[in-house]
Amino acid sequence: MHEHRKTIFLSLLVSFGIVLHIIENMIPVPFPVPGAKLGLANIISLIAISFYGLKEGLIVSILRCIIGALLAGSLTSLIYSLSGAIMSTIVMAFAYKHFSKVFSLVGISFLGGVTHNFTQVTVASLVLSTFGLYIYLPFLMIVGLFTGLFTGLTAYFVKQNLGTTLIKLGVLREEKIQ
Amino acid sequence: MITKGDKILFFCIILLSLIIFAAFQVYGFADGKTYVLIEVNGKLYQKVSLGSDGPNLKIHIPAATGENVVEIDRDSVRMLYAQCPDQDCIRQGWISRPGQIIVCLPNKIVIKVQSDNNSADEVDEVTF
Repeated sequence: MHEHRKTIFLSLLVSFGIVLHIIENMIPVPFPVPGAKLGLANIISLIAISFYGLKEGLIVSILRCIIGALLAGSLTSLIYSLSGAIMSTIVMAFAYKHFSKVFSLVGISFLGGVTHNFTQVTVASLVLSTFGLYIYLPFLMIVGLFTGLFTGLTAYFVKQNLGTTLIKLGVLREEKIQ
Repeated sequence: MITKGDKILFFCIILLSLIIFAAFQVYGFADGKTYVLIEVNGKLYQKVSLGSDGPNLKIHIPAATGENVVEIDRDSVRMLYAQCPDQDCIRQGWISRPGQIIVCLPNKIVIKVQSDNNSADEVDEVTF
């Protein structure tokens, strides 16, 4: 595996993530929770985690959030998306490392989505000094489940279809594909 | 490819969200005392406190197209009778939660429920 090719691939992932982040920002969510989003950009975090690991997942997520927020013109929602992304990446990486027999990428994506929502609502509640926002948590969780299903399936198909190609390209190590 | 663990997780999350939802229904939204504010023509006409030990009374308000009667029943309030042409205010039914309002536009009467901690002057919406 060539290190610079891995860097290029990670940069590509970040740019996909940024596009998803910007598109996500355009989709209105019917809850007045600041920063509430569909969670599509989690696909990128999940791909980074399943191909590499926690460190790469965090790098991709943090870069995606910062640059995405700058480009989407919505810097104030950075704190919500960053905290949610970091926590959900950590949880997903942990689940992937220890529980990949129990959960497929879909299940890990569920965990990531729920963590993301919970962290977001918590941070928003602290910033706005009101705990009434938690009432939206159930709805966010259900929405998160459905986008999590989509996200997990997408990451799974990416892995299935791109895995061998990426190994041949020298982006991935052999043993990463089960 | 979707494992059994996934399905269990799915139902656990749905269950958890239902529990949180139910907890909110039971615990309630207002954590303070709630009041009814009746405003006529933009000016405060009467303020009554609500609660499970609240009053049970009817308030008659003389208004532009006749008379309005506001009924308070312990912790809820409604427009009982109005002589306005639309009767929208009556169709609103009972309100009890802070932030809810009933308006009788022709008679310029506003019934709102307010709670201790958030007064009506607070920010309604925040955009980012």
